[in-house]
Amino acid sequence: MTDVTQFDSIIDRYERSEESLLAILQDFQREFHYVPEEGIRRLSEVMEVPESKIYAMGTFYKALSLTPRGRHTIKVCTGTACHLKGAPQILETLERELEVKRNGTTTDGEFTLECVNCVGACAMAPLTVIDEEYHGQTRSSKIMDIVKKRAES
Amino acid sequence: MEKISVKIDGRTFEAAKDQCILEVAHENGIYIPSLCYNSEVASSGGSCRVCLVEAHQGGRMRLVTSCNYPVRKGLEVKTDTPLVHRIRRGVLELLMARVPDSEAIREMAAAEGPTDVRFRLDEGEYDRYKCIACALCTNVCADVVGVFAIGMVNRGADKKPDTPYGKPSDVCIGCGACAYACPTGAITMKEKDGVRRIWGRDFDMVTCSVCGTPYIPQAQVDWIVRTTGKDRSFFDKCPDHR
Ligand code: SF4
Ligand code: FES
Ligand code: FES
Repeated sequence: MTDVTQFDSIIDRYERSEESLLAILQDFQREFHYVPEEGIRRLSEVMEVPESKIYAMGTFYKALSLTPRGRHTIKVCTGTACHLKGAPQILETLERELEVKRNGTTTDGEFTLECVNCVGACAMAPLTVIDEEYHGQTRSSKIMDIVKKRAES
Repeated sequence: MEKISVKIDGRTFEAAKDQCILEVAHENGIYIPSLCYNSEVASSGGSCRVCLVEAHQGGRMRLVTSCNYPVRKGLEVKTDTPLVHRIRRGVLELLMARVPDSEAIREMAAAEGPTDVRFRLDEGEYDRYKCIACALCTNVCADVVGVFAIGMVNRGADKKPDTPYGKPSDVCIGCGACAYACPTGAITMKEKDGVRRIWGRDFDMVTCSVCGTPYIPQAQVDWIVRTTGKDRSFFDKCPDHR
């Protein structure tokens, strides 16, 4: 990834101001499924903001990732309610079936598996969020079905 | 400059409006411990919390960090109460738990009482050497030196100063101001055979033409020449032989 035009086309959508940085990083994240190092460097050049500042932002926000993430994100809620309602089983199944550890990405770049601590929908426990879609009161087998469908989409 | 009077530990002092309590105290020989504050660095302070004091105003008392609390008319400060000492001990104990290797914090803590801590880091959980994540180093780099080579990365328990991606920085000038400012000696800077190593990068040192001592990184000379227009030959000799 050394072609800077792909970054510039995103950067150009915004005003040249420090206030735009986070929005641009979020766009990078959406576009590339992570914030690439070259993107940070380019952003620093164009905006004339020190690279150390932008890198610090990249490490601070949880919505941004500095390592490539999968096309799909699976978040398993491991908050108290979900934990009691069987989140550990869901997590284990996903880890086993997708051959990935929590907070990791599958080798084919399809899925990133994450744990979150209570998303505020405890009544639906155990909860799994797949690409922003909430799946409540599910068993691991059902989650696997949904995940498999995603993989084909 | 507007002058106001402020009371600290029962004595009344003149101070400039907006000066921080800590500075007024230090100017008048009253000791308040501090780690993350440096009067030369505008953005420093407010992070380590060892400088907490009682601030009484308008019949109310609050514990405030004296390094960034501006003195105001009618303010009365107490630095030596049982409450202040108890809180300070607690803060130091927590800092000591976090960076058990820091002599600076051990010494400061010993002066207050605690020599050991009731809290332990889980074995192998953190690799945080002596850093208390106070950000004085990154503030110095940004606001005093102006090169922005390092920043505070990550957050929460993993927060630490670092170069982008932990790689040797190409904007760093090797000046060592961060290492000098660090209150706990957490930043390693080594020098050997005319080469200085800091933040993972090696810097060739310029040698004094009189005494032969390597005394300033070439990259720092370049930076000063570029930003101030100073004559390069000025750096042929070290400060002692100019
Ligand atoms: S390295 Fe030193 S100055 Fe920098 S954040 Fe850590 S303790 Fe503070
Ligand atoms: S614990 Fe899972 S939503 Fe609250
Ligand atoms: S010296 Fe005041 S908070 Fe650190």
